[in-house]
Amino acid sequence: MEAAETEAWMDRAIDMAKKALENGEVPVGCLMVYNNEIIGKGKNEVNETKNATRHAEMVAIDQVIDWCCQHKKDPEEVFGHTVLYVTVEPCIMCAAALRMMKIPLVIYGCQNERFGGCGSVLNISSATLTDTGEPFQCIAGYQSEEAVEMLKTFYRQENPNAPKSKVRKKECFN
Amino acid sequence: MEPQCKRQKTAELEDAFPWQVVPVLSERELRHVVLMPVYAAPVLDKKEASRLVKEVSAIYPLGDYPHLKRVRACGSVDSSHPLEMILCLASGKQEQDALQTLLELFPDGQLDLYGLGEPFLTQVPVYPPVTRLQYEEAASHWPVSFHENKRISQAMSGCLFTPSEKASMQSHMKLAIQAAQRGARQGMKPVGAVVVDPATGRVLAEGHDCRDGFNPLLHAAMVCIDLVACGQGGGAYSFQDYPGCTFLPSANNLDQSPSLANGLPYICTGYDMYLTREPCAMCAMALVHSRIERVFYGVPSPHGALGTKHHMHCRKDLNHRYEVFRGILEDQCRNLEHFSGLNNP
Repeated sequence: MEAAETEAWMDRAIDMAKKALENGEVPVGCLMVYNNEIIGKGKNEVNETKNATRHAEMVAIDQVIDWCCQHKKDPEEVFGHTVLYVTVEPCIMCAAALRMMKIPLVIYGCQNERFGGCGSVLNISSATLTDTGEPFQCIAGYQSEEAVEMLKTFYRQENPNAPKSKVRKKECFN
Repeated sequence: MEPQCKRQKTAELEDAFPWQVVPVLSERELRHVVLMPVYAAPVLDKKEASRLVKEVSAIYPLGDYPHLKRVRACGSVDSSHPLEMILCLASGKQEQDALQTLLELFPDGQLDLYGLGEPFLTQVPVYPPVTRLQYEEAASHWPVSFHENKRISQAMSGCLFTPSEKASMQSHMKLAIQAAQRGARQGMKPVGAVVVDPATGRVLAEGHDCRDGFNPLLHAAMVCIDLVACGQGGGAYSFQDYPGCTFLPSANNLDQSPSLANGLPYICTGYDMYLTREPCAMCAMALVHSRIERVFYGVPSPHGALGTKHHMHCRKDLNHRYEVFRGILEDQCRNLEHFSGLNNP
């Protein structure tokens, strides 16, 4: 794959992340590319849906499923030949989801030190896991600086939807 | 000792439940005692003990191992000396080499060696014990300090929950089992989940696995997370084709529950989830993102991420942790695996 081509797809993923930022969401964006065609576009929609699992990748997976429905394609064949371009390393949850959908290749921007499932916190992408799809290949580092800059901008503002932190008195194990 | 008394008092009532609620502890809480070699020496004269402890501690502090007691009493009557004390850590390499003498260990004359016997190597616990079981194992090697977490001890001895709490757990798990059966009648995998606000006792969402329906990622936990969002006026999916998937609209849930932040619910903060079986890595991480308070599941799964393959609920490197208990209605939950909607219309 040409580097220039990858950069171009990643630019489109960055545009999605910008839209998330404008909506007050954690700025992560992604594309699902199949046969040189964008068949899914996702941005973080956690606050909009009040569902903490609506990460860009999960949104884009749903779009690919819809696309397969509309085009009468076999989802297994389509996901098996789709590349995900995402601005930030997929989290543990998304990495497990991508495995289950059997996406072979993920190209991402910056590392996700807080939740990363492709090596940063856990290595879900390459681990041997029964009943959790297939491992996938990762290529990191495309436009990581821009992805990081957007995250910094977001975390400088306080998340207006998060509750005020409260001191927990309850004793808890772990 | 208090938990023991309570346990006896409620023993008869507890027998009413043919299942046991088992805490799913972290690897830190479950691990066996790990040992490391140290140099120790007999204290021949008891009167010298406090001076020796002070002086040796200044030369070889045990700062990284505050749980280790510096001195131990020699239990056996025929021991030639009353006490033994840790001098310093020994590396694995030293262990293979010849034993060092007192003069080699304290070469600069900083220590008045009077009262100390010849050093020997012994094994001591590396980590502070966090459970009573670990404490007992650790203390059999060398005396250690132990700050008991009452909650863990109670959970491990099975007396953390009162009979009425267990009755409510059982009724919630029954709802999850019923949801699983309703799903199975529509051709879905028989896995069910329920979300409850423990502050009010209200059931906020009931759902079942929909992975064999319109989306392969809609495992029961993912379904219930979205149903809770639906109840809060959000949500990404419509479950109208699945009557086994329902939610309580937040209009019916507006009283000031203590689990509400700023008076408004925030995703699953403060809520409990009941699952008929242990969730996978995706679902366990989704529950971290959703800030769930506690998870109760029936049976472990071979690829489960809450105790079997991972301990996703108690990782120090993730920004949220939750408590996990298993075993609620375990037999009924296990039997769900063989439940087929076709045989049970």
